[in-house]
Amino acid sequence: MVSHIGPVTVMDSAPSKQYSDDVSLVMVLLDTNPFFWGGENTTTKVSFSNFLIHVISFLNSVLLLNQLNQVVVIATGYNSCDYIFDSSTSESLNVSSGNGKMPALCSKMLQKLEEFVIRDEQLSKENSPSGIVSSLLSGSLSLALCYIQKVLRSGRLHPNPRLRDAFFSVVVACLGIGCISFNFIEIELSHLTDINLQILCLQGSPDGPEQYVAVMNAIFSAQRSMVPIDSCIVGVQHSAFLQQASYITGGVYLKPPQLDGLFQYLSTVFATDLHSRSFLQLPKPVGVDFRASCFCHKSTIDMGYICSVCLSIFCKQHKKCSTCGSVFGQANPEVKLPTDRKRKAIDLNAAYN
Amino acid sequence: MPQVKIIAKNFMDMVAALPALKLDKLYDNTFICEAVLRSLPPLAKKYVLQLLYIDEPVTAKSMEDWVLTDGVSKHRVAIDRLIQLRVFLEITDRKKETSYRVNPKFQGNLQNYIAHGGVLPRESMSSSITVRLPTAEELDSYALEQWESFLLQLISSGQAEKKTSFSPSMMTIFQKGLLSLREKEAPKLTESGFQFLLMDTNAQLWYIIREYIINSEVRGVDSADLISFLLELSFHATGQAYNMNTLNPTQRSAIKDLADLGLIKLQQGRKEDWFIPTKLATNLSVSLSDSSSRKQGFVVVETNFRLYAYSASKLHCEILRLFARVEYQLPNLIVGAITKESLYTAFENGITSEQASFKLFLVFETVYLQIISFLQQNAHPRVCDRAAPAVPENVTDQIRLWESDLNRVEATPANFYEEFPSKDVFEGACDYARDNGGLLWEDSKRMRLVVKAEIHTLMRDYLHRQK
Repeated sequence: MVSHIGPVTVMDSAPSKQYSDDVSLVMVLLDTNPFFWGGENTTTKVSFSNFLIHVISFLNSVLLLNQLNQVVVIATGYNSCDYIFDSSTSESLNVSSGNGKMPALCSKMLQKLEEFVIRDEQLSKENSPSGIVSSLLSGSLSLALCYIQKVLRSGRLHPNPRLRDAFFSVVVACLGIGCISFNFIEIELSHLTDINLQILCLQGSPDGPEQYVAVMNAIFSAQRSMVPIDSCIVGVQHSAFLQQASYITGGVYLKPPQLDGLFQYLSTVFATDLHSRSFLQLPKPVGVDFRASCFCHKSTIDMGYICSVCLSIFCKQHKKCSTCGSVFGQANPEVKLPTDRKRKAIDLNAAYN
Repeated sequence: MPQVKIIAKNFMDMVAALPALKLDKLYDNTFICEAVLRSLPPLAKKYVLQLLYIDEPVTAKSMEDWVLTDGVSKHRVAIDRLIQLRVFLEITDRKKETSYRVNPKFQGNLQNYIAHGGVLPRESMSSSITVRLPTAEELDSYALEQWESFLLQLISSGQAEKKTSFSPSMMTIFQKGLLSLREKEAPKLTESGFQFLLMDTNAQLWYIIREYIINSEVRGVDSADLISFLLELSFHATGQAYNMNTLNPTQRSAIKDLADLGLIKLQQGRKEDWFIPTKLATNLSVSLSDSSSRKQGFVVVETNFRLYAYSASKLHCEILRLFARVEYQLPNLIVGAITKESLYTAFENGITSEQASFKLFLVFETVYLQIISFLQQNAHPRVCDRAAPAVPENVTDQIRLWESDLNRVEATPANFYEEFPSKDVFEGACDYARDNGGLLWEDSKRMRLVVKAEIHTLMRDYLHRQK
């Protein structure tokens, strides 16, 4: 027991407020691409249902860590994407499951997921797949960012910014005079820290080069709103998109070598709140594939031509930029290519170091 | 003689203070495990999650490898807390290597939570029996009203309109420390009482609940039972009705007390009774962020030191009276002014005669900041919308200046030593006092020195040894 000797004068602050800085909102993007999970060339060791069990356990553990934590699940399908679970809505919390065996989170989410997969399937009947069967990552990233913007703008988290400013000015004023106890400031500041926002992509299907521009835009917008994108690859190949996403936004990129213990990976690495990440050993990026897709044929290229006006990327030389309409002069490929290659090499070096 | 008092900052400190046997018994309850986990520092939470499915003990050394060098102190805090709460059990093997494992009961309960998700402690009653439940707004205003009338009764026993069912002896326990009750004298607010009134509701609530738990043994109630019930209560859904029959007698008597505080609303049906937790109850154990509990503000402070409070509450009026001159009261408006005299009474109220004068300095800081933060936290929404600070700068500055008028001198209780037998003994004594951080003044010519009173016994022992 904490015993304190001497007359007690200063009263304690409110109960257990000191640890409130790990409140998180986790947006989970779930890859539900049927061509990945059910494809005949499946080399994954884990089935979709097993995968879901791990993910649901992970969601539960996030919700367990703090009662103010919130998880939102977005399904990334082949043709569409949609919100399938939001722990903040009242129906997901107060509903007691019918037979008492299936937990509320599970049943609600699975029901929505099933509806989503059926809808997604109907869409794919109209335009049958050809070539790479990637899922709509750009769409679900955008949905996640929209949700985050809604949260940020609703002012739910910053109920009274004026008051915060006013308080800061007082603290600063007091600091100037040096008549304030430092503990007090620390406690007060910790009240004002916001919720941690993060996006977690659970991706299995390969990247779709045609989504390059949209995905990159989403990544930069996440960077602007300072939302890290974590990625966990459950497929066979690495994902260049997500490597870049995690690298640029400061998230964690991980491709678990063994998928049987997916939950342990998820809980060890991705359930860490942003504040704790600064002093924990987390997986380091092993290298980032910075290759871009060209705007003309949507194929991934090592080297290409870049419009000097709008920075659009092309795999072949054009007379006119298809994005901004600038007319290119006669370029001398002998001069241009070596510099490009050099720059590429620097980029890759930077990534590997 | 300094008084020894036990301070628990929050629920978990109380839980941690329980003997190991009782603590292990508490962990039979899933909700306690959940509440305990949520109260932990972020890093500790992460460790629990990481080791949740590991049945073997993990060595302390390998755990240290998880953190970077910057985080070592945080790591230690987390581990200490986990051991203190018996979430981690420390195992020392033959080679004297320490390893930790998660408390099996705790582990089992949390594994269950992760597999099945959170559940509610008891089924809420169906709406066919309860007919009409209060709306969220009604419940909030009920809770606020109960709480305010309780506070009013606490600070001035005569004024409250509604009497609570707390026995006078219980009220006296609550009042202990807040009021100085002396015979033949009107009760006066102590410094703690003054601070108490300016605190936000959660902090006040915790103070009362803490006293309630500490004194539970007197009423023949096991404090562990009470803690576990209160924690469990915080997992109920606000605004839902729960059957009273699901409670045991101890819990039922506790619920009646909590209803007086506004934590619970009791309702009676034709056959059954039920209780409805209010927001105060469900927020009891959680680490609240300020945003979730913020109330509508009501105070406007003008640059001319006039103060308008849009409130009909008697309690608000009493609180404002602590540091402002209330001039008139309209049905929904209290008009007052912050004056030098009113603030002086506030600063003086902050201290009682029996308190040692060296506390003065510390007290003044908090009183000044508390007044300002009270005004800011309760600022009227219209004021918050303006670009200017909620409390005009000239007012905050002036309050600070008035306050600093009062503490130009700092007093420290001290002892005076003279007539040393030799220069050596005198210098030895000076060094000894300096090493203990207690030397205030020395005069080497006439061999006299002044030392803080707190190390007087040390000094005496030292000087005896010199003889």
